[in-house]
Formats: sequence, C-alpha cells, structure tokens
Amino acid sequence: GAGQDVGRSCILVSIAGKNVMLDCGMHMGYNDDRRFPDFSYITQNGRLTDFLDCVIISHFHLDHCGALPYFSEMVGYDGPIYMTHPTKAICPILLEDYRKITVDKKGETNFFTSQMIKDCMKKVVAVHLHQTVQVDEELEIKAYYAGHVLGAAMFQIKVGCESVVYTGDYNMTPDRHLGAAWIDKCRPDLLITESTYATTIRDSKRCRERDFLKKVHETVERGGKVLIPVFALGRAQELCILLETFWERMNLKAPIYFSTGLTEKANHYYKLFITWTNQKIRKTFVQRNMFEFKHIKAFDRAFADNPGPMVVFATPGMLHAGQSLQIFRKWAGNEKNMVIMPGYCVQGTVGHKILSGQRKLEMEGRQILEVKMQVEYMSFSAHADAKGIMQLIRQAEPRNVLLVHGEAKKMEFLKQKIEQEFHVSCFMPANGETTTILTNPCIPVDISLGLLKRETAIGPLPDAKKPKLMHGSLLMKDNSFRLVSPEQALKELGLAEHQLRFTCRVHIQDPRKEHETGLRVYNHLKGILKDYSVQHLPDGSITVESILIQATAHSEDQGTKVLLVSWTYQDEELGSYLTSLLKKGLPQSTP
Amino acid sequence: VCVAGYGQSDANEILQLIPPPTLLTKEAQGLCPERDFKVECGGFSERPVYSLKHVPDTSLLVTSGPPDSSIQIWQVSAEDSDVIKSVSTIAIENGTGQSWAKIATISARAPWVLHGSGLDRVQITEVESRKNVYTAASRGSEELSGLAFLDCNTLLLCCATGRLCLADMRQPQSLMEAMPVPSAPCREQWCMGTRHGAQGLELSSQPVARLSSRGLLTLTDLRKTTEFLALAKARVPSPGSGAEFLCVSWAPALEGYLAISGFDGLVHVYDTQSWDSSGREAEPVFVHKGHAFGRAGGSEDPPLVTVHTWHLQKPRTLLSAATDGSLHVWDWVQPCGKC
Repeated sequence: GAGQDVGRSCILVSIAGKNVMLDCGMHMGYNDDRRFPDFSYITQNGRLTDFLDCVIISHFHLDHCGALPYFSEMVGYDGPIYMTHPTKAICPILLEDYRKITVDKKGETNFFTSQMIKDCMKKVVAVHLHQTVQVDEELEIKAYYAGHVLGAAMFQIKVGCESVVYTGDYNMTPDRHLGAAWIDKCRPDLLITESTYATTIRDSKRCRERDFLKKVHETVERGGKVLIPVFALGRAQELCILLETFWERMNLKAPIYFSTGLTEKANHYYKLFITWTNQKIRKTFVQRNMFEFKHIKAFDRAFADNPGPMVVFATPGMLHAGQSLQIFRKWAGNEKNMVIMPGYCVQGTVGHKILSGQRKLEMEGRQILEVKMQVEYMSFSAHADAKGIMQLIRQAEPRNVLLVHGEAKKMEFLKQKIEQEFHVSCFMPANGETTTILTNPCIPVDISLGLLKRETAIGPLPDAKKPKLMHGSLLMKDNSFRLVSPEQALKELGLAEHQLRFTCRVHIQDPRKEHETGLRVYNHLKGILKDYSVQHLPDGSITVESILIQATAHSEDQGTKVLLVSWTYQDEELGSYLTSLLKKGLPQSTP
Repeated sequence: VCVAGYGQSDANEILQLIPPPTLLTKEAQGLCPERDFKVECGGFSERPVYSLKHVPDTSLLVTSGPPDSSIQIWQVSAEDSDVIKSVSTIAIENGTGQSWAKIATISARAPWVLHGSGLDRVQITEVESRKNVYTAASRGSEELSGLAFLDCNTLLLCCATGRLCLADMRQPQSLMEAMPVPSAPCREQWCMGTRHGAQGLELSSQPVARLSSRGLLTLTDLRKTTEFLALAKARVPSPGSGAEFLCVSWAPALEGYLAISGFDGLVHVYDTQSWDSSGREAEPVFVHKGHAFGRAGGSEDPPLVTVHTWHLQKPRTLLSAATDGSLHVWDWVQPCGKC
C-alpha cells in the first residue's frame, strides 16, 4: 500500500493441498481498482469457490476486511468465511458506513451495495477463541487473542501435522481496554507476522499519554475547545478511558462529549463482548462498568455552540464528512481551540490537508475556511514493534517466519536478528511474490505387534517422554507403511536371508607344526581375553565367542603360518579387535 | 543517533536510529504523529561495545571494547540494505593492565581515528586505508580515560589518574604535560570533556573539564595550565560502582554549560560561568531524574546512567542512556530571566 498505516492485506496460503485466503482488505488511499486486491492471482476467470477452501478475516479494520463484499459478491465466492464473534458483529457496520460515504457522498459506481454486504455476512461462520474449528476432514483452524482492537484474532491453520499461524494485526502490550496478544507453544511450520512497525522503537506509553493529556488540559484551562476526530471503534475507547481517569484524578469540570450514532453502538459492543476486553475491566465490571463514563456524555449538535471549554470525540476520524467536519468548521476560527488527530489520514481528506500544514481550506460552495485553531497529531495505534515480534516468535516457536510489510521495505537487519536468535529461516516477500517453505511432515507408520513386543522386551523400560530407538524393516507396499521384523519382511517379500562372513589372514612367523601354532594362539588369547569365552576345539581351531580362528601352513614358506580369522558381520567389532591383536604377534615364550 | 549494547554475550546490537521528526533540526513540513524512533540500520557486534564514534563526513562508525585494544570499523547505510556491516578490525596488542581503547575521530585531512588504551599506545589510523599516520611519544603506561582532537594537529589525552597530556602531531617526539589534578586523600578516577566547536574555531581556547569519581570538577585553560580556571564539587553519591561510566560534556549551543553523569540514575547540568577556584559545592541548574524513576517495580538494582550527550543544535536538549536499556531525550525549562 501507499502509506505505512493503511494498506490492503490479503494473503494466500497453500498448505498440504488446501488453499486458504487470509484477510481481504481494501486500500483506502485509492479510488480505482487499486483499492481492491488483485484476485486474478487465483484464477483469471469465474468464481473463486472452487479454488479456495476457506477465507479467514482477522479483525474489522477496513484494510483487512474492506474488500470482502466485493470479493464474495462481485467476484464470486460461496465458501465459508471465518471470523470472531465481535468481528462478525462490527464488520458489516463499518462496511455499510464506508459504502455510504463512498457511494452517496462521492458518487462512486463500481462499489458493493448494502444488499451485497448482507449476503456476504450470511456466508460468515463465527468462531470462539481457542476453539478448534473443522473446516473439512483435513483442515482445521483456531483463533487466538490478538489485542489491537475488539475481536482481533491470530489464526492457526492446520492440515495433518503441518500448520501456519497468521497474526493479522496484534499488540504485545496490554492497554487500558484490551489485553495483550497471546499464543501457546504451538510450533507452527510458518508464522506470518505483520511487520509494518518492526523498525519502530516506541516512545514510552506513559510519555505519550502525558503529552496528550497535557495538550488537552492546557487547552481546556484557557477556555478552549478540543475536537478529537475518531473512528467509532478502536482507539476512541482507549482515549475515553484515559480522559475519564484523568478528569477524575484532577477533578476537572469541563464537559467531555462522545458524538452520537455509531459511537453509542460502539460502547454497546464493548459491553456485549466484555470477555474480549482486558483483565482489569472484566474484574471491575461488577462494581463499575468501565464503559459507563461519569464524565463523558452523549453529544448533541447544539452543544457545539455552547460557550466555555469542552472536549468532543466525533466521527469520522479523517474529518472527511459528517459530524466531526461540522464541528471542525465551527471551531476552526478560534486560536484557543485545538484539534487532535489520532490517526493516519488519507490524502484528499480535510484531516490530511491540515496535517500537511494547510491553513486555508476550500470548502463546498467555494467558501474558504481559515484554520486558526491549533492542530496536533498523536498516534495511539496499537501494533507490535520489533520487540513485540520477537516476543511472539518466542511464544509460538515457529520453524519459519514470514514478515509481511509495505512495499520495498528494507528489513535485512530484523531478518538477521530473527535468524540469529531463534535459528529459523526468515522470509520477507514483496507484494505479488510467492514464497515456498519446505516442511518436514510426519508420515505415520504401522508397527507389527510382534516387533513391538520384541523391542519393548529388550532393555530398560523407556522414559515416557523420551523417544526410544527401535530396529526394524520398513515395508512400503500397496500405499501403506509398515514396520516389521526383518524375518517377517523377508518372508512377505519372498526373499532369502543371506549371512555375511568376513575372513582375515594374519601371517605369523612360526616354523612349528600348525597344531602347535594353534595351541600357542589359544593360550595367548586365553590369557589376554579373560572376559570372553575362548575355546580350543578338537580339530585344532580356536573360537573366541562366535569368531573362528584356524592356523594353517603357508603354501610356499614353511616358517610362516597363516591364521584365518573369520566372523559374521554382526561381530565386526570383536573380529577387528582380534585381528589387530594377532597382528601384533605372539609372545616369544611358549607356555 | 547511534546506540550499541555492551552485554557479555556475543550478540550485541549496534543501531542507527532516526529520532522522531520533532527532534530533528529541520522544521517539519507538516505535523507528524511520531514520538517514536525508527531503526534505520542495525548490525551485530561480537564483542561488547564500550565506545562508539561516528567518523565525520563518512558513513563509517568506529567501536571499541574489551577484551583488547583493537577497534572495529563499520559501514552504515548501504543503498540496498539496512545492515551495518563490519568493514575491518584494527588489531592492537594489549599492554599490561589495559583493557580497551578510547577513541576519537576527525575528518580534517582524511578520516582519522585516534585510539589507544594506555598512554604508551596512542596512535592515529587512517580509517579507509588502515594505515598508521601517527604514533604518540610514550610518557608512561597509565590507562587512558579519554582522548580528543583539539584541532587537526593537536591532541589531548586524559589519563584515568587525571593527568592531561597535549601532543602536537607536527612534533612527534614531544608530549607536553598539562595540569595535574588536585591531590586527593584516596585514589580517584578522572575523565575529561572538551567542547566541540565548529571546525576552524580555536579550540585550544575552550576550557577542558575534568570530572573525578568523587564528583570533583576542574576547568583548565590549556593556554595557562599553571592554575585552575575553576574548581567545584558536585553533590553526588560516593563512588560505588566504579568509574567506567563517568561522563562530562560541554553544551555545544550554550556558553559555559556542562553536564555530568555516571554516579547514579541522574544527569546533572551546571552553569560554570558562576564558578570560582574555591572548590565549593556547586548547585546544578537542572537534574534529570527520569532514568531513576522510569522503571516499574524495584526488584532490580536502580539504573545507572551510562552515557549522555547534547543535541547539537537545540540548546537545552540532551540524550542519555542507562543500564536498563532506556534512552531518554529531554530538555529543561529555564526559569524566567535567562534565555
């Protein structure tokens, strides 16, 4: 995407023959086809239902779900779409809101309709946290808490023993109304993580909040009005709790307002999905509902003309339409007032213009608005930075990591850092690139009962947690894998067993008769190899355990005797040892 | 801003950070939301980084650290990569009892680095060719606590004992001894701070500050080394953790202001214009306490400020780092009456 904050997320994963689409976002900076993902990557013609096993949406931000109705209704997809319950509840509202502005205000034609949003949501299957959902016989998914915004989740996609975890947007530090992301040591083959903020080292939250509160306080103290344009859901709740706590602590009297409409519904959703908020809110909910504010009241249009200080949260967030723009026009001319932009603004919006320094704005009807109010910009977005990414990798222990980022970003350093610390491979493909990850899938093998019994009878009882080494023959026959004893394998395959035997010749100087040489060898070995069974057989040969030694005369030289040392391949070690021992020669004195 | 780690493990990072636009000198075109630093490039060092200097007018960094007196040269910002690459190491054999080299850089005739761990091992190496350009005459083997280029021909060396030595590169055999330190009952460690001025400014006219591990501050005019310009005492805790983080520096944009740190989690700022030679305790103009109060919970040792430096253009802005890995950028408000 063009800006760092806003892009369009859409990732395709093929795992063990299954195709999964992760997120389906819209780029808010473009007004043409570039705002939707390019689905021709999947197929050039026709509907996408046959090509995808499922679609997963991580959270309700438009850069992750904004293209969903276009994808399912205009391009064509009828398969399941998975998301969490809060996401399912809130998504259609945001989509409708954006549709209204794009079509009604801007007059766009190639856009999805209200009916399409409704039809799209009918295909959605809502999931709970940590619930394993069986998409089909082989594919299963599971959602994990991601922080970031209400209902945001990280998803694990598993087929057999191969798995991928997609993080969406997440936050590793808890804030005032949401907890921190968490995942168990699921050891996926691949972790796909957002890395837009990977090169950021965040200022301490305390400093950022203090700065924000200072600005609001100073404005209100001098009798000015503070306008904070927000999106209905997201950081607005965080800032509300922050201001409420501050007002309480400082015993301030100036009124704080939250504009009506969408935002009332927002608080309703937070109360409804209270289990998705953080620990502290849940614990104190019984005594005092964090979203029942004492100092924050519902706004009425008429209040904007009231004299005296006040703080107003109004939608929409980029000052591009609606109530926030109305209030802005009323207050812009007074230098005692302040507007604090809490997020990124798309080019073309009033928000973007004033942030670039413009102080004379052309409104509709050729009216010029002079902006004398103070303009401040503070980012309160909740994304994981490099430290957070490392933390998540430490939690999940993936075998490979893939960094998703904006275009042409240099992240070699982070890649090396991840590779060095965790000893995993790290990938960072650009938009449109394909990355292939090699996995080591486990192949199940049946073991014959006889072999199992035999192997467990040998040696001490195995430690339940440690793998035990077994010996057997692997038969791959008729699409099945079986581990059987060698004898059974031979029998099944109709093969004869062969015995391998080695014979080594050792020359020693000895003019005596073979029989006497043999006796010498026997006595010598008997004396040295006290722990072994050394036998002298009637025919003159010597055995050491199962190894046979025979003394024969050399064909040409009477003074040399040849010792034949013979052993089966299983006795290799002892055979080699005996050979080298005998090569050293026999002691001179003969007992 | 470059920062580096000095841990015992073999993976210490060197990072080049871009400060938030509000801290950059250019007036920002529009407003920016950023209060965050961005990692522009990063690299890995096998040894702990005790000293880190940028070579002016180049994209090179020089680092040094235990276990020996060698120095490492790094290349920052290649076109296509954000990795700080190690370019070369200039290996120096260790003298007895000396551990790591102190460094200073200049780019007057060519990019040079002045380095040495002891008084008998001071040399200047040309960074790109790695050739030795100058070796200082030896006047003892004391450990050095700092060195500086006063101008492109004059070097100032400070020993841990407090002894200052001047060397003129044009007269290689001579090493002039400057002012010794006030005698002290117990042994203390000293470090020095020289004023960075624009190149061309007569730097030897700027006083040299020395700071001891007991908090004594001396100001010396190098043209008149027989007496102290000023002598003062800072109110600091008695030396506990040693003198390895002692740091004194002059403000580049405020006449007569200096800052000290390294005793605890605080940074003191002083206006030396009111000082005399009495050695009295001086009142700081401001004390930055952020590092001491920054952490939540008191389970570990309180952080110690490891180094501080002044913002080159913004008059009352400083940067400081501490043992808990924090980096602070801060300023103070002057009470009415002063600019």
